[in-house]
Amino acid sequence: MAEPAVRFEGLVKRFPGALAVDGVSFEVAAGTVHALCGENGAGKSTLGKILAGILAPDAGTLRLFGRPVRFGSPRDALAAGVGMVHQELAFCENLSVAENLCLEDLPRRGPFVSRARMRERARERLAAIGAELDLDRPLGELSVGRQQLVQIAAAVGSGARVIVFDEPSSSLSRHETERLLELLRALRARGVTSLYVSHRMDEIFELCDAVTVLRDGRHVETRPVAGLGEAELVRLMIGRPLDAYVPAHLRAEPGAERLRVENFSSPGRFEDACFSLRAGEVLGLAGLVGAGRTELAQALFGLDSYARGRVQVDGREAAIGDPAQAMRLGLGLAPEDRKRHGLVLSMSAGANVTLPTLRQDAAWGWVRAGRERERVRGFFERLRVRAPGPEFPAAGLSGGNQQKLVLAKWLAAACGVLILDEPTRGVDVGAKAEIHALIDGLAREGRAVLLISSELPELVKLCTRILVMRAGRLVADVPRAEATQETLLRHMAGVA
Amino acid sequence: MPRLLQKLFHGQFAGLALVIVALGAGVALYAGPLRDPFTGAERNRLLNAHTLLDTATNASFFAIMAVGATMVIVSGGIDLSVGATYALAGVGGALVFRALEAQAWPPAAAVLCGLLLGAGIGFACGLLNGLLIVGLNIHPFIVTLGTMWLYRGIASVVSESSTILVGQALTEATKSSLGLSGSLRPVPLLAMLLVTLLGALYLNKTVWGRHVYAVGGNAEAARFAGLRIGRVKLAVYALSGLTAGLAAFLGSSYYGGASSADGDGYELFVIASAVVGGVSLSGGRGGVFGALLGAVLIALLRQSIVILNYRSQYEWIIVGAAIIIAAYLDQLKLRLSARRLAEHAVAARVSGAAKETESGT
Repeated sequence: MAEPAVRFEGLVKRFPGALAVDGVSFEVAAGTVHALCGENGAGKSTLGKILAGILAPDAGTLRLFGRPVRFGSPRDALAAGVGMVHQELAFCENLSVAENLCLEDLPRRGPFVSRARMRERARERLAAIGAELDLDRPLGELSVGRQQLVQIAAAVGSGARVIVFDEPSSSLSRHETERLLELLRALRARGVTSLYVSHRMDEIFELCDAVTVLRDGRHVETRPVAGLGEAELVRLMIGRPLDAYVPAHLRAEPGAERLRVENFSSPGRFEDACFSLRAGEVLGLAGLVGAGRTELAQALFGLDSYARGRVQVDGREAAIGDPAQAMRLGLGLAPEDRKRHGLVLSMSAGANVTLPTLRQDAAWGWVRAGRERERVRGFFERLRVRAPGPEFPAAGLSGGNQQKLVLAKWLAAACGVLILDEPTRGVDVGAKAEIHALIDGLAREGRAVLLISSELPELVKLCTRILVMRAGRLVADVPRAEATQETLLRHMAGVA
Repeated sequence: MPRLLQKLFHGQFAGLALVIVALGAGVALYAGPLRDPFTGAERNRLLNAHTLLDTATNASFFAIMAVGATMVIVSGGIDLSVGATYALAGVGGALVFRALEAQAWPPAAAVLCGLLLGAGIGFACGLLNGLLIVGLNIHPFIVTLGTMWLYRGIASVVSESSTILVGQALTEATKSSLGLSGSLRPVPLLAMLLVTLLGALYLNKTVWGRHVYAVGGNAEAARFAGLRIGRVKLAVYALSGLTAGLAAFLGSSYYGGASSADGDGYELFVIASAVVGGVSLSGGRGGVFGALLGAVLIALLRQSIVILNYRSQYEWIIVGAAIIIAAYLDQLKLRLSARRLAEHAVAARVSGAAKETESGT
C-alpha cells in the first residue's frame, strides 16, 4: 500500500489544567474516511486541531504523505494540503459567502479586491462540491448546514487533500447530515482523505473505512470498521464493560416534590417543558447537542429573560428573573462550560468556591478570612480536591479538580435543587467516579438533582428516571428499569 | 505587621519596589549635592526631606485617583473621565463653598464643608458614569470619553474659565505641617496613604471587593454565581469619581484655587500608574498597592528629569516608554506563571493517575 496520508508519531499536547493528547501514534490511509472517536475530553478535537495547524504539538512528529511537517498556523497547513471543517464555525459571519471562500488569498487588481474574479473563484469552489449558494449573502444569515458547505468548499477549493471534520453533524438536521455524508463519499471517490471526528455510532458505521479510538488523551486502538461491532466500539471508548452499579439513593423512596415545571417555553430554544422533580431523585436529561437541554437548565436558573411558563419550587409559585433569585429559592446550577461560566480562573481555588455564598463568612461586608478558609477546607476534603491549598489559582488545577470546585460552589450554597450540566465533561476517570459517588450522596441526603449528560452510560448508571429532549421538546420519560443506551438513543434521534 | 510588610514587598511588588529604589539611588548618586542657600549645609539633590516630600506630594493627587481607577480596571472597565471629574469637583466645590460663604465658618466646619463638596460632586460624576454604563449598556471607554468632555465643559462654563479661589482655612488645613519642621507639608501624602489603605481593605477584605475581582476576571461566571453585575460596576465608577473628588478637594485647597483646566491629562497618569503597578487592563488582576507604587515611580521619573537638569519635554518620552516596558514585563510574568500552572496541572494529573493505579492493584 502507498504512503499513509497522515501519520501521528508520539504526539503530545498540554493545556493549562490538562494533558489533552498523550503520546498518540497511528496512521490514516490515503483516500479513506477515518473516524476518530472517544468520549468527551478524550482528545479527538485537539488531535484534529493539531493536524490542521491550529494547535502546535508539544512533542512528537506529524507526517503528511511520508514527509514530516510542522505547521505554525492553519495557513501553513492549508498550503500543505490540510483543511478543517470546524465544530463551531470559524469563519467571518459578517463577510459574504464569496469573501469567506477567498479569504486566505483575495484576488486583487492593484491594491483593490477584484470582486468579479472573487465571485468567479467562489462559484468554481462551490461547484466543485456540487453546491450552489447566494454569493453575496453574509455568511451569518445562512443555516449552519450551508455554512458548513462553505467551509468544505473553501478547504477543497484551496487544494486540500486531507480534511479534518470536527463533529460536523453535531448541529445539523437529519436531512443536512445525510447530504454531508453523501458529500464525504464523493470526496473520497476523488481521493480526498478525511479525518472524521465524531462519537455518533451510526455515522461511523455508515461512512467510515477505519476508526481510531482515543481515551483520556491516549491511543487505544485503530481498526477497520468492517467486522467491528457496535458494542465492541463502545467498550473500546469507555475502556471497560458497563458494570451493574446500583446507586444507593435508589433504596430510599423519593420525598416531596421540590421542583415542578409546566408549559415552560423559550422561543427558539425549547418548548412546552413539563416535568416534576422530587427530593432524593436524580432525574436525567438526555438529548443530542442542540436539543435544548442547556437552554432549559439556564432558563430555570433565571438566565433566560424570554422564558415563560409555570415554575413551582417546594410547592410555591416562583418567578425566577435572575440567578440571585434562583439561589434564594434554593436552586443551584453547575454550568456545562466551566471555563466560561463556571469559574473565575484568575481567582484562587478557595475564592471560587465561596463566590456565591461569601456573605456567610462576612459581618457587615467584612470577610472573616479564617471562617472562609475553614469552610473551603471542609469542601476540599469532602470532594477530595487535589490542590496545594485554597490560595492556589483555579487556573492551575486539572480539569477534574476544577469541576470539583464548580460542584463545591453549589454544595456550599446548600441548594435543595441542583442542576448539573455535564458535570463530568473533560474529567479524568478517577475524578469521574468521585463525582458519580458525590451525586449519589447528594440524592441520598434528600436533595433533588437534575443531571444533564451526553454520556448515556452515566445517565443509565446514576438516574432514577431519564427525560429525553429532542429539538427543544421533552419527548420521553424513561424509568430506570427501561433505560438502556439503545432506548435512549432511539428517543434522542427520533427513530421509533 | 511583619506579615503586611511581607505581603507588600514579597513577590508581587518586589520588582517594582526594586526599580524605584534603584532609580532613586542612581539619580541620587548622579545628581550629587546641593548647597542650602540659607544654612550653608550640603545635602543630596534628591535625598532630602523637601525634595522627597515634594515628589510624594506631586504624586499624591493622581495616586489617590489611581485607587479608584484600580477598582474600575480590576472590574474590567476603564474610566477616562477622572481628570475632568477632578476639574469639575474642584471648580464646583469652590463655587458652592464661596456661595455658602463657608470661609467665614469656624475652620473645622469650613474644611468639612469643602471636603464634602468635593467628594460629593466627584461621587455624583462617577455615579452618572456608572448609570450610563450599566443602564445604557455602552462600553465604559465610550461613556467616559464622552463624560470627560462633558464634565470639563461644565466646569469651564460654570467657572467662566477663570480660577476660583478657595478659602484660607482650606489651604491652611491642607498645607499644615502637622508639627514637622515648618516648611514640610505632609497632608496630601498622608491622605494618599490613607486612601490607598482604605482602597486595599475594600478590595481585599470585603465581599464587595471580592465581587469586583470576580466580575473583572469572568463576568459570565460571576453572573452564573448569582452576583449582581450592575451593582458591582455602579459601585466602582462611583468610587472612582469619589477619589477624583477627594483629590480635587486636596489639590484646589493645596494650591489655593481651582480652574477648569486643572487635572488636564490626569486620566492618563492615573491609568498609567495602575498599569505600571501591575493592574491588568483585561480585568481581574492587580491591587491598589501596586498602583501606589506605579504612581510613585512615575512621580520619581518626572522629578528625576528636573533634578538632572534635562529639558522637561523629555518627561513625556520617558513616561511613555516606562508604561510600555512595565506592561511588557507584566505580560512576561503572566506567561511564565501560566506555564508554571500548566506544568503543575500535568504533574498533578500524572501523580493522580499513579495513585489510581496503585490503589487499583
